[in-house]
Amino acid sequence: MLRFIIRRVVIIIPMLLIIVTLTWGLIRLAPGNFYTGERKLTPAIEQNLREKYGLNKPWYVQYGRFLRNIARFDFGTSLKYEGQSVNQILWRALPVSAALGLTAYLLALVVGITIGTLAALKQNSWIDYATMSLAMLGISIPNFVLGPLLVLVFALTLFWLPPALWNGFPSKSVILPALTLSAIYIAYIARLTRSGMLEVMRSDYIRTARAKGLSERQVVFRHALRGGLLPVISFSGPALAFLITGTVVVERVFSLPGLGNYFINACFNRDEPLIIGIVAFIAVAVLVFNLLVDISYGFIDPRIRY
Amino acid sequence: MLRLSSHFSATLTLALLLAMSLFCAGCAASASNSGFFGKTDPPRENVLRYVSGSEPESLDPQVSAGQNEARLYMALYEGLIEYDPKTSAPVPAIAERWEVNKDYSEMTFHLRQNARFSNGDPITAADFVYTIRRGLAPEFASTNAALAFYIKYAQAFNEGGVFVFDPASKTFLLEKDFLPGEEQPATQPALPLSSQPIESIAAEYPPIPEEKSPDADTDFHRFMHSPPRVVLPGDEKKRNKALDADPKLKAAIAGKQLVAVKAEDVGVEAVDNYTLRVSLAQQAPFFISLMPHQFFRVIHRGTVEQFHSSWTDPKHIVTSGPFKLEAWKPYDRIVVVRDPMNWDASKVKLDRIVFYMLVDNTTMLNLYKAGELDAMYNHTVPAAWLEVMGSMKDFMDAPEAAIDYYRFNTTKGPTKDIRVRKALNMSLDKTALANWRHVKPLTAFTPSGIFPGYPQPAGDPFDPEMAKRLLAEAGYADASGKYDPEKFSASEVEMITNPDGNNLTYADFIQAQWKQNLGATIQIRVMESKTFYAAQAKLDYKGISRFGWSADYMDPFTFLGLFYTPTGNNGTGWWDPKFVELLDEANRTVDHQKRYEILAQAEKLMLEAQPIMPITVGTTRWMKKPYVKGMYPNATTLIPWKWVYIERDQSRWDYGVPDMTE
Repeated sequence: MLRFIIRRVVIIIPMLLIIVTLTWGLIRLAPGNFYTGERKLTPAIEQNLREKYGLNKPWYVQYGRFLRNIARFDFGTSLKYEGQSVNQILWRALPVSAALGLTAYLLALVVGITIGTLAALKQNSWIDYATMSLAMLGISIPNFVLGPLLVLVFALTLFWLPPALWNGFPSKSVILPALTLSAIYIAYIARLTRSGMLEVMRSDYIRTARAKGLSERQVVFRHALRGGLLPVISFSGPALAFLITGTVVVERVFSLPGLGNYFINACFNRDEPLIIGIVAFIAVAVLVFNLLVDISYGFIDPRIRY
Repeated sequence: MLRLSSHFSATLTLALLLAMSLFCAGCAASASNSGFFGKTDPPRENVLRYVSGSEPESLDPQVSAGQNEARLYMALYEGLIEYDPKTSAPVPAIAERWEVNKDYSEMTFHLRQNARFSNGDPITAADFVYTIRRGLAPEFASTNAALAFYIKYAQAFNEGGVFVFDPASKTFLLEKDFLPGEEQPATQPALPLSSQPIESIAAEYPPIPEEKSPDADTDFHRFMHSPPRVVLPGDEKKRNKALDADPKLKAAIAGKQLVAVKAEDVGVEAVDNYTLRVSLAQQAPFFISLMPHQFFRVIHRGTVEQFHSSWTDPKHIVTSGPFKLEAWKPYDRIVVVRDPMNWDASKVKLDRIVFYMLVDNTTMLNLYKAGELDAMYNHTVPAAWLEVMGSMKDFMDAPEAAIDYYRFNTTKGPTKDIRVRKALNMSLDKTALANWRHVKPLTAFTPSGIFPGYPQPAGDPFDPEMAKRLLAEAGYADASGKYDPEKFSASEVEMITNPDGNNLTYADFIQAQWKQNLGATIQIRVMESKTFYAAQAKLDYKGISRFGWSADYMDPFTFLGLFYTPTGNNGTGWWDPKFVELLDEANRTVDHQKRYEILAQAEKLMLEAQPIMPITVGTTRWMKKPYVKGMYPNATTLIPWKWVYIERDQSRWDYGVPDMTE
């Protein structure tokens, strides 16, 4: 187990290096620069800017400096936002995305697993059909449609909740974005739980449990769920990574100061240090959460050993 | 299977019912508030909740060029001069008055003595000298620096230029000895007064009763009033290139010293604590209207020098405007509060302004409707909403000092031929486009109706028949000499645009017009913004590209000046020395009306060459709650915040666009 973990942690380093290098190269391939705008700068002013940010140096010098900084976890200063370091921006934006993402995640897990289990236990009943149809809707309605619909009802008609903006956590402003964000995850988790549970409920060890005379509640909660939730767990690890590192669409629709919003703007602004900082951060998050999922398998399913 | 589908259809019906009830709920909400869009309850406190647009690059007024930042800077910083809230004309701010010399080449600003920074330090002429020098410093690399290039030696300093010093005679080489057109020296216009020896202040400035003129006899003033020195590029490669082109100059600099142009050489002088004198390199009658621009708003030297680029951090920042910073939550909001230190604080009516950093128009309109925003900035009502919003009483619509146009690439392809450019322009029905989009059509280049008294020339009218004849003449004709769409090489021409705002709807309309009127299908290529700007800048486009320009200051020159140089914001490859000569002549003309007439001649000359296809004049198109007063849809759409207030008496509310003429 320990060897497995160490091996996986060590692999993260070269993976990360490849990811940031590719990103670094791709930004250079994109036309335009952080100072390219509708208004053309005079050549001398452009020259002054390139000098200020070291862009007039050969690419290998820039790349070397870049690697040195990455090794020290220093992503440098944003090109677009004068005087703000990338680390500063990351630490400022992360809590917003994380609070929103975690809320949506918990909501998705609780609601998704509950209705998925219900659907599985009452297979082919109206509960099953209703929940699974809703899940189908949840998967097929994109969040840029769902978000505005929720806003229309709860913010512009009933005036219960604010239509956008972030007023801290917890506050009313979290509800609509979290609902929008979690819809698709609720749907996926419900479907995964249902199919996982259906499979497990037919297995021998459940029959054994029933034969031992356990109550149906004990059968479901102590034995069936542990096995039935395996697909949910492998789905929810990376899902958590993506949820807390910012979601571009929902943060845009509700104008939230999270990582996703920063990321999309950094790309439009060609803000190289910020793009690389956020990409590296998301990459680390995804790699780490995947590792955590793999480790947790060992605890949940006694059949899996590393 | 059958059972499932019946259940499924029940669910589907349920979902449809839900969707329909949502839709009707939406209708009911918009119908309930007749006349206004959404809630009209004023905020409980004396606060304005506004949108400033995308996240500011910085709170340093000299860093960024955008309007989103200008909205914040206008609250936090003050300059010598402010915009009038209705006309955008220059009105006194930190300078209580100013004098301009006879030929608009030198100005003297008299600062009020009670102006203070937010930390209580007095604002003096030296602060303005510091601000302008800092903005021009090459290492500071401000993207706005070009706005100050009218000031003597400002460009030379910003571009790292050098003077040429002759150690033998202890003098500097002068421009007038190396004029390229010296074969006919008689045609060279006289130097502006600011570069001639000082006769007397009285001769140069109109006399002011009971006022002592500032000392004319300073060393710096005499230096400014000497003929301009030769400036060469500081970079050796570029300098050698420049010298190779001018053998006479090359010979003259042998054995001379090169002296870097310093900040102290730039033509700004603190004559005393409260008098600032600015010497220009040329005559620039519009220079005063440039002064309210963010680049010239004063900053606090001590704070900048102590904290460097982090001086705008809320912990350190010192400001000069009617409001000071209270909180800055990036990507969320900036809150400013009334600054009691401001000289005019007693007249500032709002306690607080909350600027939200929003970019999505729908989100803004949602917040506005829900009563969480009191006003929005220009162009925030999407064209598709105009049918509904256009009749609302809180819809702010007025002509804007901004134009939309397409550039032609005059350097290659079919659009190199002026007849093709004229034909494309004539076969677009701009009136139809303008009516459809609720804007005004434009046939000339400067925005019509914005500069009172400006005799704007008319461009070519809509005339598809003439367009076809022109194309036939250009060789796109069949055997009988009639225009043949088959021959027109539409594939060699394309329209490039970025997808922002209404650009795509415009492009689609124009494409359809050409198809209908010329039978030619010209492809539209949509590019991501930065890619698009990069392609335009390099003239790397086939035929036609979209562009727009909004005024930096209220003068036609802010538009016509785009074609002053072949590079920069020209973007077409068209450049005519005759046009430049006319602009120069206009700026040398002291008589206002005469100057406008010469500018109009220049505009006419340019329209005849058709390097661009004018489309529409902008309209401001934003929303403002009726209780927000002192805020007007002026032509620059820049709002000086100190005059804005919340009116609680409904009888004094604005029921429509407020009157801007009174």
